[in-house]
Amino acid sequence: MRIVVRSSRLGREDDRKSASGLRPLGISLALLIALAAPGATAAGSPPAGMPPRPKLAHPALTLRDASGRNVLESGAPISTRQTCGGDCHDYEFITDSFHFQQGKNEMDSELLKSHGVAPFNSSPGMFGKFSIIPNRQLTHAGITDPEDADMSQPEWLTKCGVCHTGAGISEKDLKGRHFLDPSAVPDGSLDPSYTIRDRASGAVVPWDWKKSGVAEADCFLCHVPKAVRGARRERMSRGDFRWAGVATLVETGIVREDEGGAFTYVREAFNPDGTVKMGLLNLSDPTLENCAMCHGFTARDATTIQPIQHADIMRGTEKAGWIYNGAKISDTVSPKILGRDKMDFPWDAHAAKGLVCIDCHFSPNNPGRMVQSDAEKHLAYRPGADDPAVYLKRPDHNFARGNIPPETVNLTRHNTMRGCGDCHEAEKGHEFLPYKSLHFKALACQTCHIPEVHFWAYRSDEWGFLMDTGTSRITFRGIEGGIVDPDAKVTGFKPAYVPTRAKDGHLEIRPTNLITGVYWFDKGKGRPVFTWQVQKAFFAGKGSEGSWDYRPEITAAFADKEGIIDLPQAVYDTPEKIALVRGLLQKYAGIGDPELRIEVVPWAMSHSTVGKGQATNECTACHARNSILRRPLDLDDALPKNVPIVYGGKQVSVVDYGGQAPAFDNRELLASFYIIGNSRAGWVEWLGWLSVAGAVIFALVHGTIRIISGGRS
Amino acid sequence: MSSLKPLYTLHERVWHWLQAAAMILLLLTGFAIHYPDRFGILGGMARAVGWHSWLGFALILNAALGLFYHVTAEKYHHYLPKMDDFTEGAIRQARFYLYGIFRGDPHPYEPDPRHKLNPLQKVTYLALLNLFLPFQVATGLLMWGANRWPDLFEKMGGLRMLGPAHTLGAYLFLAFLIGHIYLATTGRTPSSHLRAMITGWEEPRGERAG
Repeated sequence: MRIVVRSSRLGREDDRKSASGLRPLGISLALLIALAAPGATAAGSPPAGMPPRPKLAHPALTLRDASGRNVLESGAPISTRQTCGGDCHDYEFITDSFHFQQGKNEMDSELLKSHGVAPFNSSPGMFGKFSIIPNRQLTHAGITDPEDADMSQPEWLTKCGVCHTGAGISEKDLKGRHFLDPSAVPDGSLDPSYTIRDRASGAVVPWDWKKSGVAEADCFLCHVPKAVRGARRERMSRGDFRWAGVATLVETGIVREDEGGAFTYVREAFNPDGTVKMGLLNLSDPTLENCAMCHGFTARDATTIQPIQHADIMRGTEKAGWIYNGAKISDTVSPKILGRDKMDFPWDAHAAKGLVCIDCHFSPNNPGRMVQSDAEKHLAYRPGADDPAVYLKRPDHNFARGNIPPETVNLTRHNTMRGCGDCHEAEKGHEFLPYKSLHFKALACQTCHIPEVHFWAYRSDEWGFLMDTGTSRITFRGIEGGIVDPDAKVTGFKPAYVPTRAKDGHLEIRPTNLITGVYWFDKGKGRPVFTWQVQKAFFAGKGSEGSWDYRPEITAAFADKEGIIDLPQAVYDTPEKIALVRGLLQKYAGIGDPELRIEVVPWAMSHSTVGKGQATNECTACHARNSILRRPLDLDDALPKNVPIVYGGKQVSVVDYGGQAPAFDNRELLASFYIIGNSRAGWVEWLGWLSVAGAVIFALVHGTIRIISGGRS
Repeated sequence: MSSLKPLYTLHERVWHWLQAAAMILLLLTGFAIHYPDRFGILGGMARAVGWHSWLGFALILNAALGLFYHVTAEKYHHYLPKMDDFTEGAIRQARFYLYGIFRGDPHPYEPDPRHKLNPLQKVTYLALLNLFLPFQVATGLLMWGANRWPDLFEKMGGLRMLGPAHTLGAYLFLAFLIGHIYLATTGRTPSSHLRAMITGWEEPRGERAG
């Protein structure tokens, strides 16, 4: 492999500055890079029949601690800032991206307002944006009342930090100060960067950053094929942040965890010069398995689908039911997929072709992959715009992404990913389809190419009523039985369709799973009621076995004859029950004006794509009275009535209570679409049929009178 | 047969029946598109769309040929109401349809090759051929050309405007067709108008068959 360094092609001023000092680095890295040793592609082996992808080997690596010493000597946690960042990669540049920041670098109220993000959110990303799952909010900076504290930065890291890859929010406070820097001092006793709400007492107490350490960027989680999410999760959840990145490596053979939970480095894994032996880390582009750990069930050829890892349901599968897997559904061993014998096609057509996540979700300045959308210059591709040396030093980790609901992180870089049209020339296929451009404009490709998903997903997550676990009432769709029951039948489900903004800003129809939340909103504070406040209203305390004890008022109103409150009882089926809990929130949690709300959240389906053999291609699927585009997806059997319904941050009537069970009604959302054969302009139909009926009646009456009046013609 | 008189030329009859056939088939295929699951003819919606487009062009061609014929043969005057007695004539014709016809009164207008249409027919066909038909052709063409002239299609409101507009036009044409066919039975005998449009010869209407 030959890499040519062309600094004359540098585009940006800062890149140009960097490049002058980078040239030797780029050349040396280029010289060091070679095809990996046999076996290095094991984790990335392509499907049968596909040629192996060439893979680059990373130069020998010295693992350094925060002081720059080899960890083999110091025994201290690995510092990626020193190890990866040192002389080779620009650590600050890399970590100033949304995988590390999750909205922290977008905490700008004007930016949020301009993108329609509700004002009670502090960012558009996971770090700062309310979601009905899990009904938690990042505490705003500058609060003066402990009642305004929900999820502090340290608590966020213990809950969400396993996936969110360190650095950024795991290293610096809301003001951008490194937690271990002497200048980093809390702004008062409620500073959300330096406190946490104590579970036992409920009080807001200080967080000891010196004890927890910080979680630097966990480069290994994504770049080491044998990375272990579970071990990282354990460290993050117990607040042992500094060792989280080391825990990720427990299966590489570099580090060993003793019974006491301490890590020691394995000397045999290192060369005499202190570098890690080749083949242990296999640092590489993120594999499917790396991305899968956080994003959804993803595999090349898996016949057992297990999207629950380390007590977490993998996100994309949990939210939208998609499975990115090259194996055929008919070959699935577990779980029991209903009708799988007839599904002689892969879970995902792209996975079956050997595509990996970064083929579409690439680093924007990777010269080998770059499809740099540049609207102002009308460029779809800028060959050689970035020098490989620049890329190696500063690989942009704001990975190319689409624009799918409800994700809003990285607001200014939506629709940067490789789209379907960048690989497929849709106009040259689809022979059966009339009015191609009209269809391609109105419909996302996924609308026909993800006609259904053959897995389960969340249907509702309702924090408006808490179970005796202290958590929400959750229901699933696409499965008959429990999600951990091996005998449960996975029926899969068909999507609901909603309009979303395409790359050029026009609305297009897209398939989604709908997750319905029922939660309490604090109208006085203008934000959802915090979970700990709802717990105060529902429970008198915590029992000895860890479950919570309902207040007598709750039991009296909701429990069955045997005093049990399970899913069927945990519903607001009368106005009196809503009023009761409203009163309890006022009485025990001090909420002035609580309001029960329903929020219907669409989670776009982007994977589980099928080829033309299984894609929707019947005209009447959409162009008929019972168009799938207006499919009334069931929401939840027990949604409360006469409460505000929120969709996309606004109150929109998207629930139809007219059928047996509340169902999604997208008529208002799709009002701007005229679907021939399905859409009806009411006044046109009335006027039209009235005129036809008038003509018929005239003929009948007139003719009858003619006959009666003497049999005349 | 000796009392028969020539009324419609071959050109007029061919034009009329082609127009009628196109219009009826357009309505049928249009219904197959508007109600694809309830009115499934022609083997599917895509095929109905294809036929609808071809029939539309056939109707446009026939309309253009008809226009050419009426202009060059100076037949257009049949459709132009005479303003000096239009109101009185229209009232007289309306009274006949609403009253006189039941008493066996003679037709107020006796058509002849120079005066084929009564005042109500004139105003109806004038509107039909110069307003409704162009409206239907324009909305249909714009929808047909959505792929070819997407900007114009969008400027004209896209499917959101054109779809309902074209549908309304279709309903009005269907209503016209029903009324037209019924009124065609009000000749000397129920079939005399129909026979005239087929053979070109019509019995005088003066004394109605009893």
